[in-house]
This record gives sequence, structure tokens and C-alpha cells, in this order.
Amino acid sequence: MTVREWAAAGLLVAVGIGLACSDTRKGDGASGTVGVAFETLQTEFWVAGIDAIRAELGKSQLGMLEAIADGDANRQLEQVRGFIARGVDGIIVVPKDAKSIVPTIRAANEARIPIVLFNRPADPSGARSVAIVADNLGIARATVEHLCGLARKTGRKQKAAILVGDLGDANAIDRRDGFDQAAAACADAMDVVARIPTEWNQEKALAGVTNALQAHPDLGLVFTSSDFMLPSIASALKTAGRYRKAGEEGHVILGGFDGDATAWRMLVDGTLDATGVQDVFFEAEAAVAAIRDLRAGKDVPARILDRGFVIHSGNRTEVAARMWGAKVAGAKEAGATR
Amino acid sequence: MRRLSRLPGEAWVALSCAALFALLAPAVPGFASAGNLRNLFSSLLPLVAVAVGETLVLVTGGIDLSVTAVIALASVLGARVMTADAGLLAGNPLAVPAAVAVMLATGLAVGTVNGLAVARLRMPPFLATLAVTTFASGFAIWLTRSEGIAGLPAGFRALGAGRLGPFPTALVVVLPLALAAHALLARTVAGRWLFAIGGNARAARVSGVPVERATLLAYVTCGACAAVASVLYTARLETGSPVLGQRLFLDVIAAVVIGGTSLFGGRGSVAGTVLGALFITLLDNGLNLRGLSSFTVLMVKGAVILAAALVDAARERMQGSR
Repeated sequence: MTVREWAAAGLLVAVGIGLACSDTRKGDGASGTVGVAFETLQTEFWVAGIDAIRAELGKSQLGMLEAIADGDANRQLEQVRGFIARGVDGIIVVPKDAKSIVPTIRAANEARIPIVLFNRPADPSGARSVAIVADNLGIARATVEHLCGLARKTGRKQKAAILVGDLGDANAIDRRDGFDQAAAACADAMDVVARIPTEWNQEKALAGVTNALQAHPDLGLVFTSSDFMLPSIASALKTAGRYRKAGEEGHVILGGFDGDATAWRMLVDGTLDATGVQDVFFEAEAAVAAIRDLRAGKDVPARILDRGFVIHSGNRTEVAARMWGAKVAGAKEAGATR
Repeated sequence: MRRLSRLPGEAWVALSCAALFALLAPAVPGFASAGNLRNLFSSLLPLVAVAVGETLVLVTGGIDLSVTAVIALASVLGARVMTADAGLLAGNPLAVPAAVAVMLATGLAVGTVNGLAVARLRMPPFLATLAVTTFASGFAIWLTRSEGIAGLPAGFRALGAGRLGPFPTALVVVLPLALAAHALLARTVAGRWLFAIGGNARAARVSGVPVERATLLAYVTCGACAAVASVLYTARLETGSPVLGQRLFLDVIAAVVIGGTSLFGGRGSVAGTVLGALFITLLDNGLNLRGLSSFTVLMVKGAVILAAALVDAARERMQGSR
């Protein structure tokens, strides 16, 4: 046998093994299949999202085909077209961005397959879809209002910083605007001295907070547009000797957005004061309900709002069950003690 | 068996594609449907365009990492010319041809910079094209502040979604491109120069091959091919995106290596690359439709590429020991 024959055989064996190991994700007795296409699974939020959707589809006796575009809008279009060719009964997508998703929605419309956008809306176009979106502005504003209350209690005006996300992302813009609205109403207790651009990048967040602490060693309040940057903030605060629990001298009032497992742990140990939580469980339930209703020919609003909530030390025990990060942290801790 | 072993490399890749199709068709619902075959075709064509260009560079023993950056930069520059949202030529009937010309010029310009850095400045291809990638990607993001550019004219969008009978419009672009690249590599003196450079650049120079000129030709053609792919990808997405094609490089290298082009230079063919692109597209599509988790798809693709690269290395060792 030549090298080339070995190669051909090897390639086919690899594929064969892959197929043998696979399952089609359409459970026994499933009443249909929904294609779920995520842009990425690189943060805990998206992993929690796809897990919540899988659980909801299971409850509705619907099977699931999954595809991850790995940040590539073109691949996402190909994956959704694949779902359409496979004849799925509905499609749930986390779009790469608001513009490039439009041809994908149009393709689903042409095939008369209901399509729901999860957590990110599309730009206005003639294409029809249902978008489940968090009230980013409202949740961020409520979180910063809570931080403002804590700042007032200190009895002095606190210097504040915000870590801004990628401004090409509508969610980042809304969170920044929510911060600005609350900060404007809290001018007596906080003074915004630093706006740190991060482009959703942890290294940039670390460098930005370090610089802000250099320029303002008495920085008293930090809000991050996403909890996944909390480790960067914690690292910068530790280096500056300012990583203290609430109630300790020199504590920096700290707030976030998302409600991930790190935020939960920091909330529990007292280093994080509050975070705005996107209700992933509500969003998953609403997405699957929208697919079901659209299949049944019912009217569904084009935009369904997740109002989310703010979690802080005062309400932690009551709302923890709705915080997806608390669930993830609990699962990890349970795994670690096994 | 002995007769089989005498088959050219391309025939083996073609047989592998046929076997893969035969394996997937009964196992994956919808895989062999007309709709999915159309999807396969429209996914395949832009990949072929960019992989064909990369083949020419790999044949010389080089590598061009900047093809993905060319795709992104050409996408946003072209979109800025023609978009209805305050584009430079918004509403002008010449907007589409001008935008396509700008996109192609972008590919040619980046290819020229790469070629000069490698051929004249003797920079290692990996380093030169990595630096250009970093610059071009950063420039595309800076130009757009990470935002996609929509509102592209219908005439341009037709390049991505239009059909000519049963065939996608993109075929009209990619087929001549692949045939021209095949002719260049297999039927011209310039093609023989590229193989000679990849086999042994020093010996080629001594034999009178214009190494610098031929190397420049390979990189410029590669840039142009990436720009053609950018036109097709941008038209499909109806959006100029500064991160377009960012994750495509693995598929490009997979197509070229599975097609039999050596990572060490001196061996390869355009026909093999086209078949390699078909193999990787069939695999990607089939595994996704099968419902495999994305992590499993990545692992299977990685294993296939690794197998192809190992075969390439083994073949290189065997030739070296003869």
C-alpha cells in the first residue's frame, strides 16, 4: 500500500469514527428539530445560553442540531443554510453582528422556517424574525443606580470609571448609555474620571484599569460592561492594593453586567457590590416559546424584552436561583468536590 | 492494486471526495438534497478562489498568512465605495464596478508588499505576511470602528446569491480564475519557475530562473485571488465586514494540503486544491448536518488536516532518502 492509499484510508477512517461517535441530537420521540446556531461559545454566558436552550427544547419534545460559527459570519450563513436543507422546524441564532445576519434571516424566510435571534437583534430590514433581547440599558442603569446609592452612603463624592465594550456591538452601547444616565442622575455622589475602551478584550481591560488607578489612586467606583472582565479588574486592584471587601477601608465599589460565575463568587466573598443579570433562563424559554408559537401560526412580537434584574448583597439569597452564573458556579463546585 | 497506486494524486483526492459523499449521503438527512448541494457549491467557490492563490505561494516554498486580512480589508474598502449609506459613489451606476476594482486593487497592493518583502528584502514569508496581516486587519477595524457596512447595491449582492441556470453566479468568476491559475502553473514557463523555486531556490537562481520576479508573481496573484474571494464573501453576506474571513485560514491550508500541495514547496496543483477544497467543504457541511457538536467537528477537521500534513512530511522524507 502506498503512502497515498494510507492517506485516503486514514482520512475516511477519521470521518467514519467521527460519524460513529455522533448523535443527531434528535431525541427519541422528538416532535421536531430546531437548529441552534451560536456565533461563539467562548464565554460562560454563551455556554449557559446554549445549555438553557437545549433544556427548554427538551421540555418541548424538540430535538436540537447545533452549530457554532466561531466568530465567522460567513460560516454562520452556511450553517443556517445547512439547517434549512436539513428541513428543521425552527432556527435559533446568536448573530455574529446586526448587519451580516440579514441574508441569513431572509434565507429562513424564503424557506418558511421560523427564526429567532437570541440575545442580539438584527438591523431593521424587510426580513422577518423575532429577537429576544436583554434590556441592556435598563439593567445597566439599575445596576449603576444601586452603586450610586452605595457611593452616597460613603458620604463623599467617589471618582468613577467605566469599562466600555466594543462600540460596534449594540449591547455595549446600551450598557454605556445606561451607565451614563445613572451617573448623570448621581452627580452628587460620583464623578466619572475614566472611560476605558476594552473592545471586549481582557488584556485591554487590565491595562486600562491599571492606568486609571495610576492616574487616580483614590478611584472609588468601577463599573464593567461585562462580568468577564472582572478578573482583569481584580488583578489591577490587587496590584494597587485596593482589592478589599465591602465594609473594609479602601474598598472600591464594584459593579458589573451579565451575572456570570465569577461575579457570583465575588458577590459571595464581598468584593463585588452588584451586577446586572441577563435572565438567560427567561431568554431561552421565550426563544423556544416563540418557535412553538410561530410554528402554530400564532402572532409573536418582533422583539421580546428580557428585563433582567440586579443582584447585590441585599437580595442575593432570594434571586440566586435565577442567576445563571450562580448555577454555573454551583455546578463547577459540585464537580470539584466529587 | 499496482495500477491503483499509479493514479495521480488528484485522482486519489477525487476518489476520497466520492467516498466521503457516499458515506455521508445515506447517513445525513438532507445532505444529498438539491438545496444542500447548492449550498455546498456556494460555500465551495470562494474557498477555491482563495486556496488557488495560496497554492501558488506554497509551491514556491513560501506561505501567505495575509489572505484573511486581504479579504477583510478589501471587503470594507469596497463596501465604503458602494454602500447606499453615504458611500463614496452611492447611487452612481459605476459604484459596483468601481468598488470591485478597489477590492481587486487592494489584493494586488497587499500581494505586492508581501512579494517585495519576501523576494527583495529576503524576509521570511511567515514573518513578512504576519506583519502585513496585523497591519491590514488593524487598518480594516480602524476604518470601520468594528462596524459592518450594509446597504450594498443589489447588482453587487447578485454576485453572492444570483444564479445562472442551475449554477451560482460565482462560478462565472471562479471557474476562469481556477483555469487560468492551472494554466499558469502547469502550462507556462512561469509555472515551472515557481516549482523550481520551491524545489531549491538557490539551484533555480543558478539555472537562470528570475527568482525575485517569479516570487513576486506568486504573492501578487495570491493577493488578487484573496480579493476575488472577498468580493464573493462580501456579496453573500451583503455586508462589508472588518473581520470577514478571520477564521478561514485553517480551511484554506487544509484545502491546499489535502489537495497534495507540499508545505515544503516544489509540488502541487490547482486541480488538487479544487478537490481539496471540495473535500473540506463536504466534511464541514456533512458533519454539521449530522448534528455533531462544534467541538467534535473541529477535532475531526483537525485530525484530517494533521493526517494530510503527516502524509506530506512522510512523502518529503521518502523523496529525500531516494
